[in-house]
Amino acid sequence: MSIYELLTQFGDKYLAALLTTWKLTAISFTLAFVIGIVITIMRISPIKPIRFVGDLYVQIFRNIPGAALLIILVYAFPYLNFVWSYYACVLIATSLLPASFCSEYLMAGMNTIGAGQIEAARSIGMTFFQTIKNVVLPQALRSSVLPMTNLLVATMLTTALASQVPLKPTDLTGIVSYINTRTVGGVTAFMISAFLYCATAVIIGQIGSLIDRKVRILR
Amino acid sequence: MEQSQKTFEILEEAPVIELRDVNKYFGSLHVLQDINLSVKKGEVVVIIGPSGSGKSTLCRTINRLESIDSGEIIIDGVSMPDEGKKLAEIRSQVGMVFQSFNLFAHKTILDNVTIGPIDVLHKSRKEAQAEAMELLKRVGVESQASKVPAQLSGGQQQRVAIARSLAMHPKAILFDEPTSALDPEMIGEVLNVMTELAQDGMTMVVVTHEMNFARRVASRVIFMDGGKILEEGTPDEFFAHPKTQRAKDFLESIKRHES
Repeated sequence: MSIYELLTQFGDKYLAALLTTWKLTAISFTLAFVIGIVITIMRISPIKPIRFVGDLYVQIFRNIPGAALLIILVYAFPYLNFVWSYYACVLIATSLLPASFCSEYLMAGMNTIGAGQIEAARSIGMTFFQTIKNVVLPQALRSSVLPMTNLLVATMLTTALASQVPLKPTDLTGIVSYINTRTVGGVTAFMISAFLYCATAVIIGQIGSLIDRKVRILR
Repeated sequence: MEQSQKTFEILEEAPVIELRDVNKYFGSLHVLQDINLSVKKGEVVVIIGPSGSGKSTLCRTINRLESIDSGEIIIDGVSMPDEGKKLAEIRSQVGMVFQSFNLFAHKTILDNVTIGPIDVLHKSRKEAQAEAMELLKRVGVESQASKVPAQLSGGQQQRVAIARSLAMHPKAILFDEPTSALDPEMIGEVLNVMTELAQDGMTMVVVTHEMNFARRVASRVIFMDGGKILEEGTPDEFFAHPKTQRAKDFLESIKRHES
């Protein structure tokens, strides 16, 4: 089938798939971001067991393949009486994994802050959380915009995991199998999805560098 | 009458900063050895000594940026705990000015000065900003209020750091080599601000290599070497008649360097 035929026949399905991918990406990234911040604060906590748990989280979820995690969530957890919808399983997998990378980027961003600024905050009388809130996190966030942009793109690509479970409407990768089981879309069906992924990534990249230029800290 | 007079005198004499038998180790290195020091209200104590003598460590120890292994640090009659909210509270009463300024890079000059009063002292933003502008005026950088630290010269940044300390209404301010990272032409402007502070009666502990500042402004000079306080006296006494050989050598080497 030509691109034209595919688009006329499945155009609305592609659109729905694109929206599903966007939605999964947005929710996953937001969750990953929040979890990543919490994990990072744990990793710099003055209390050792809390630091350990934070580090452990990163070591575990940075090193599990997404597909493996999804299989565990979908097939193994029901035996432990945890039964979640397919949608929830995908979201858990696509949030927990990027959260570990988010934390790594924030840690790298923190390294750009001199120890002196943290001492200055403490000498003003700020507590641990006040120092994090006023000095550490704002600077770590502002200096990690570009890595976070990459993470957002990577999160979007990770949501292709959704194609492995029956979702309605399916995502950009899932739509290809949907089409190819009904007609002979061939490689062209893939290319349309690939183009939509690419276009989204380019837009994300542009917005990312725009934000980076705005918030970059003069040193 | 006599009794209350006596009580009054005792209160007056109570030191703002007191260190009792403070010891600190870096691994096996004994960097502070049985330090006893008391700084009264309005005193300007200048700590001098060769590098590695422990003078910076002593300064940082006073507000517990460095932990101690034994001894006690008492700020205005209250013993400093090792950690926690109480430590943060006492720290807020002791200002600190660092060699490398350490302004918050992502905040404007004005926000650098107001963040402490707003977040730690819970003042209103309006009140904090009005006072911050007064302080910035006092140290001569009010025209830079909306810039960020990287846009200022080192001397200007250090004066902002002093204003940031003052905004907390500290009982004393610690200066840890405040002019060592500055270009020569900027040292004067920072020392001038410090001299004015001293004249206004601020209690100060200053670690510095600026001997002229020590001569002119110090009420007391402390000479340290090898983690010990070797000498303590008025600047006149110390510079004219150092008692220990170590201090004589130190002053001699500086004189040679300065001439």
